[in-house]
Amino acid sequence: MENSADDYRIQSLDMDTQMLLKTALKDPSSVNLEKVSDILVDQSLKDQVFSKEAGRICYTIVQAEAKQNNGNVFRRNLLTRLQQEFKSREETRARSLQEWVCLVTFICNIFDYLKVNNMPMVALVHPVYDCLMRLSQPDALMNEEEVDCLVLQLHRIGEQLEKVNGPRMDELFYLLRDGFLLQEDLTSMARLLLLEILEFRAGGWVLSSTAHKYYYSELAD
Amino acid sequence: MSNWTRGRRREARDNEHDNGSSGPSRWSHCRKRGVDGSLRANREGDAGPEKGGESDSRKASFTTPESTGPVSRCGRKADWGSQVENDEMRRDVHRDMQRYRRRILGAEVPQRERKISSGSSESCDSREGENIETDEAVLLRRQKQINYGKNTLAYDRYIKEIPKHLRQPGVHPKTPNKFRKYSRRSWDQQIKLWKVKLHAWDPPTEEGQDKVLDDIEELGIDDVMDIELDFPNLTDFQNAPASLATHSRSLEGDDDCSGTPVKIQKTEITEEPDLA
Repeated sequence: MENSADDYRIQSLDMDTQMLLKTALKDPSSVNLEKVSDILVDQSLKDQVFSKEAGRICYTIVQAEAKQNNGNVFRRNLLTRLQQEFKSREETRARSLQEWVCLVTFICNIFDYLKVNNMPMVALVHPVYDCLMRLSQPDALMNEEEVDCLVLQLHRIGEQLEKVNGPRMDELFYLLRDGFLLQEDLTSMARLLLLEILEFRAGGWVLSSTAHKYYYSELAD
Repeated sequence: MSNWTRGRRREARDNEHDNGSSGPSRWSHCRKRGVDGSLRANREGDAGPEKGGESDSRKASFTTPESTGPVSRCGRKADWGSQVENDEMRRDVHRDMQRYRRRILGAEVPQRERKISSGSSESCDSREGENIETDEAVLLRRQKQINYGKNTLAYDRYIKEIPKHLRQPGVHPKTPNKFRKYSRRSWDQQIKLWKVKLHAWDPPTEEGQDKVLDDIEELGIDDVMDIELDFPNLTDFQNAPASLATHSRSLEGDDDCSGTPVKIQKTEITEEPDLA
């Protein structure tokens, strides 16, 4: 889990870009950080595995920059770009489900990794909720890809989110219960995922061991 | 929802002020960073983010008389980067205030402080304590004004050329103490005079701009914290915890009650060698 650059899954990028990122991780002030943030966002939107990892890279760069010159240019550029993507999320979703799922994964990942004063960034709380709410709408529950993304995010950051804003989590779970219970066209896989996340939250963001057995026993073999 | 709204209200107030007291054009020519925080070298790319994207629904639902003024800066505050920076600044101001309180209370009334220190932080008020400005909105507004002043090439040059121990009251610019109770008018005047004085260190007009970019990294750590106290023997205490964010948790931890004078004095003693 250490910060070796290879750990960051940047091998899929071309050599120049890899170099740029590696430099940014070590000596952020020597590179164009706006370009770096753009690369990270672009790659995250293309590659779902990357979007799950990008938060760590961003975290490291933010730390390095703060240490180096007390700067926050990278974070500002990253958030600005992210905000643009967030604003056009409906179009993105209409254009490519995959990209949309990557976007949600990425925003949630950033929310998870970048903290201010050891607290989640307040500015991201509502946007993250907005994304998750969108994933909980009936039309999105029809796509396993989106349901999958939704429950994954809730597993990772659900507890933190609820702490900063409980009422919205309630709201979100109304939707999920309704979807689970009332929506007839759901696949059994989607239902399973929803049921699991309902149990997960009900158990205080932990799955009891019996529940765990129920949901994961088949996967083990 | 309420978080957003509260945040924006504060921003609107701040903006109204910054725009009023000093026209951007007058001071901005020697800024090392733009409003968006990027170094000026990146300026060209900057025109982009200006985007009319601020037309998001929240803006329409929230209007104050002030924000109808010079718009561009207000509009930008809606962006996530600024919001996060504001949160951060709030954190810093709180941390500074705890430090300031401990310092002046520790310096002026050690006995009283010791008696009281087991109580809540509220009870820390003493003679001096009553003079402390605690209104967060006021402190943030002041901090922002100070930041604007410090975000100048002149300021960089000043702190480089005149080390702290050589600065003389009345001769050299001295950052106004944001924790003291002052009327709005008095504070604004202090800021104004401070900025005017700082202009003496403006870079020579032709070549100054790029050269100084290299100098930025040389900022001393004691410049991170910006209050300069009236107690010269204590100023060096600033060096101690200025080691930034990472410590904030533990610092806040003992702020509540256990910030006893004994502790503070100890810290000072260990810091003493730095005076040399």
